[in-house]
Amino acid sequence: MSLPTRKVTITINGKPHGPIDVPEGMMMIDVLHEMLGLTGSRLGCGIGICHACVVIWDKDDKTSEEVQTCITGAEFFDGKRIRTIEGIAATDDKSEVTLSPVQQAFLDKFSFQCGYCTPGFVNAATVLLERLKRAPVAKADVEATVAAALEAHICRCTGYVRYYQAVRDVILATPGLTRDGV
Amino acid sequence: MRVRRLLRFAAIGAAVVVLALAGFVAARLLGGKTGGLMQVVKASPEVVARGKYLAEAADCAACHSAPGGAPFAGGLGMASGFGTIYATNITPDPDNGIGRWTADDFWRALHDGVRRDGQQLYPAMPYTSYRGMTRADSDAIYAWLMQLRPMKVANKQTALDFPYNIRLGMLGWNLLFLTDSLPATSQGSGSAWQRGRYLVDVLGHCGECHTPRGLLGEMELSRSLTGFALGRVAAPDITPAGLASRGWTPASLGTYLGRGIAGPNSAFADMHQVVVLSTRNLASDDIAAMTSYLLGDKPPAPTVETVGEGNPAGRTSYVALCAGCHGLDGKGIPNTIVALRNNSTLRLADPRNLIVATLDGIGPQNFPHRMSLPGMPGFADKLSDEQAAALVNYLRVAWGGQKPDVTAATVRALR
Repeated sequence: MSLPTRKVTITINGKPHGPIDVPEGMMMIDVLHEMLGLTGSRLGCGIGICHACVVIWDKDDKTSEEVQTCITGAEFFDGKRIRTIEGIAATDDKSEVTLSPVQQAFLDKFSFQCGYCTPGFVNAATVLLERLKRAPVAKADVEATVAAALEAHICRCTGYVRYYQAVRDVILATPGLTRDGV
Repeated sequence: MRVRRLLRFAAIGAAVVVLALAGFVAARLLGGKTGGLMQVVKASPEVVARGKYLAEAADCAACHSAPGGAPFAGGLGMASGFGTIYATNITPDPDNGIGRWTADDFWRALHDGVRRDGQQLYPAMPYTSYRGMTRADSDAIYAWLMQLRPMKVANKQTALDFPYNIRLGMLGWNLLFLTDSLPATSQGSGSAWQRGRYLVDVLGHCGECHTPRGLLGEMELSRSLTGFALGRVAAPDITPAGLASRGWTPASLGTYLGRGIAGPNSAFADMHQVVVLSTRNLASDDIAAMTSYLLGDKPPAPTVETVGEGNPAGRTSYVALCAGCHGLDGKGIPNTIVALRNNSTLRLADPRNLIVATLDGIGPQNFPHRMSLPGMPGFADKLSDEQAAALVNYLRVAWGGQKPDVTAATVRALR
């Protein structure tokens, strides 16, 4: 007996993948890990709560959104574009890696300890920065905005304060993400 | 039909005017009470303990304790078609609560819907159900409330639109709609059934949500407990036929009332609060009494589980968005994710709650007995109206035994 499969085509970190034969009901996290060799996304709770497994879904309307890959089947992503943690840092032709401002800030602030939740936090903060680029918030609201955006992400080492501080500092240091006044 | 409705309106209008006038005069003559002495209640610990139990059975806390507010200090707003009505402070604070109320005053509020100052209550306070309460039970609840810590929390002003803001108008409403006892919704005669009727219809005031309401906000007693959507989530049909059609038995219903989770079903929205604040506290014989009344002395045989084949488009969405937790076979994850197979919400003819849960999700919830369920995300942004309708139709056919009659328009109306 073989599992029924479905053909899925996905653009991941700018590179087209597929069509791949995905067993029906296989979650995206397993496709990333087992079929595509992208092992950076973390499987945590497996029921969509901890958010360690989120990838960024680049929607056609130019907005981006987090999606939990542990509870979302690969079929959902058919024809869609996503970014995983592997695609956040820039790599040039000489294989020189430049971390994104969020990644750099997490390192500078010692935001993580074990690091298991970090890919999820990086993606969440990246989505937040992209949203603020489109719709800046008042400086006074940055703290609350960061808290609301990262709230769903669980860190068992309880590194929340340094994660939140790092994201807040990146936002305040990046022109165009905030506005004066209220 | 229209003429009858107009006549009904005219009759109601006339009755309201006449009674308002009569009531106004009467109220002036009899006079409500303000001021007065702080009451000191002497009651035995047994009576106070019984009062606490009865107050839990009557779920006073659901409305009189606002989220984040002091216990029983009121403040919860209830939106109605007529405006927002605020629950009041029922702690023994002399100025804001019921500290100056006597047991008689308290009884009048529960039985007649009249405040100590003589003003009419609105039936957001379910005196319409509590009217059946025994005087002894009213006195016990009063005795328990009067020994709570007084909370100096001012009442929020209920401000309804004209003409509903005229509280005396409620005299006419009461004359039309207030009855001494609500019609029984099941067949039975035993003492458990009688006790259950009292717990369900009077203390539990289940009908206030589960009975459809008419134009003037009255319970339509001819359709008692057949289900109604007072808010976004509908209270389903809990008549014996309605419950049995969704697979409920006395045993599963008892487990549900005591624990909030029974088989594939978990309480959500307002009913979750009912379980947590009220029914979980009831003794097992009272739970059994409630199920005996809800399903009747001879419970109808529960409808057997049906498994059907839903539409392919809906199945595709199910596999992509739902199966990760609920499973390809719809069996969920024990103690973590409810099963959809045989789930009561899928088996409701009215698709409303299934659509609302799909769009909004259900927040994380704690249950008695150290159970908890993680939150379910909403899928409003991942499903178009057409996709959501197909998904809901798939679920209805696959595990609900219902018709795939949900349209995109139905979903759109609930966004």
